[in-house]
Amino acid sequence: MLDQLGNGLLLGIIISVASVALSLLYGVTRIVNFAHGEIIALGAIMASFFSNLPTSRYIFLENTSPLGLSFELSLALSIMICGIFGALLELCVFRPLRRNDFGNIAVLVITIGISIFLRHLYLIFASSKPQDYPLDLQRRQQYFIFDLTPRDFKIIVYGILIMVIFGLFISFTSIGKQMRAVRDSTELANISGINSDRIILYTWILSSMLAGTAGIFQGMINDVRWNMGFLILLLVFAGTVLGGIGTSFGAMVGGFIIGIVVQVSVALPFMEGHAEAKNAIALAIMIFILLIRPQGIFGIKERIS
Amino acid sequence: MNKPVLECTGIAAGYVKGLNILNGVDLVLNSGEIVSIIGPNGAGKSTLLKAIVGIIKINAGRFYLNGSDKTNTPTYKIIHEGLGYVPQVNNVFPSLSLQENLEMGNRKKMNKKNFDDVYELFPILKERNNEKAGNLSGGQRQMLALGRALISKPEILLLDEPSAGLSPSAVDEVFESIEEINTSGVSILIVEQNARRSLEISNRGYVLDQGRNAYSGLGKELLNDEKVIELYLGKM
Repeated sequence: MLDQLGNGLLLGIIISVASVALSLLYGVTRIVNFAHGEIIALGAIMASFFSNLPTSRYIFLENTSPLGLSFELSLALSIMICGIFGALLELCVFRPLRRNDFGNIAVLVITIGISIFLRHLYLIFASSKPQDYPLDLQRRQQYFIFDLTPRDFKIIVYGILIMVIFGLFISFTSIGKQMRAVRDSTELANISGINSDRIILYTWILSSMLAGTAGIFQGMINDVRWNMGFLILLLVFAGTVLGGIGTSFGAMVGGFIIGIVVQVSVALPFMEGHAEAKNAIALAIMIFILLIRPQGIFGIKERIS
Repeated sequence: MNKPVLECTGIAAGYVKGLNILNGVDLVLNSGEIVSIIGPNGAGKSTLLKAIVGIIKINAGRFYLNGSDKTNTPTYKIIHEGLGYVPQVNNVFPSLSLQENLEMGNRKKMNKKNFDDVYELFPILKERNNEKAGNLSGGQRQMLALGRALISKPEILLLDEPSAGLSPSAVDEVFESIEEINTSGVSILIVEQNARRSLEISNRGYVLDQGRNAYSGLGKELLNDEKVIELYLGKM
């Protein structure tokens, strides 16, 4: 059980980071982004491409050798590429759609289309075979009550650090406050002199960088696959909705709960031999909590006039 | 007093393409004036303010700010030109604190004195500084919305139904605040259902009907005009 709790912490951190990114984007733009999973995968795939040695048996981008850069530099470059990709999505797809007053359902369908397109693009240019980062194998150690590798422990620490920095950014910086203002009302933000288009662009960049980071973490504890984003997306949505969609802190907590429940449920007696069904318990708990509290754990009911 | 700071000529605008609510409205706001726009529901009063601040597109006509053409300028840029706008509803950021709401008003020109001036006008905003705006009553929200618009020291203030939905005492407070703001040199354009009250504090007024200018004149003249009384103000 403690083993699974440690794994749950790890998965919880990854889902939290991805959920915060999804929730931030939804809150500010009202876009339910089904392509979020592919941005998660992009981070992992790019880090793998940058960091694997040119001589390795690397089969992403079959005609192109990986670059063999240091792992730290690869992470930084991958996260930057995710940010640029998010900016391009906003500038080339979602801003024109917004200008033409596309409805929410049409935009949702477009994000599903982008998700399917990107996923299969990864499959064409990469491979269906899982890849690893060029990282050493590590032995598990005791951290407090948890059995984790030093790398796992670092992921947890960095994940928490990222969320603390994000929380401080959104609460206290001018751009963070403007993001919250646009989340409340784009029209009122414009009336207040805020360039909401610019804030939405920053939101896409920040959200995509966070999603890419979550993807890299996921690649570090498992492996890198063309469809890894799609596989984790449902849990990310569950975390976001459970915490209260549109609230960053809620997404953080919701993602964490989902991650822990998914892993810990494997250790339950009636789940023996059914580990592949581990997501079911987490999703059932999400439904149960939403029945009691429809706005999610941290969603707030507010006066509207 | 007579220099026009805001001028609209032949404004046509609407929410749906090909269907104008305004059909050629002319309007002038001179420096230091309070001007009221009154008229029946659906006359296009609020639509005119939205067209001026760029929330809806002007399909014909021009809008000038201090003599320069600002027709269809993006909203946030118009605000940076020294224009403040307080919409009728959804006029505060509910999840932000009162302090943060004020900070959102044109951040470029902000300094501590601007905050002090707003707090002097609306002391309640200082007392409840750290509370979420979503918890405020209607009247308090209106004060916060006015404060947010004033914090950047606008030259012109556009108010859309500032007394809508407020208790009689809150209405008194809001109209007193409007007069006080005007005394500090801000030119004010008000759209108001409470036409009588609005004309009482106005230098001039415009009556809109079906998206067109129906009458215009000095505030006191309109208050005593038989036709305006019969059609728009009602007998006391």
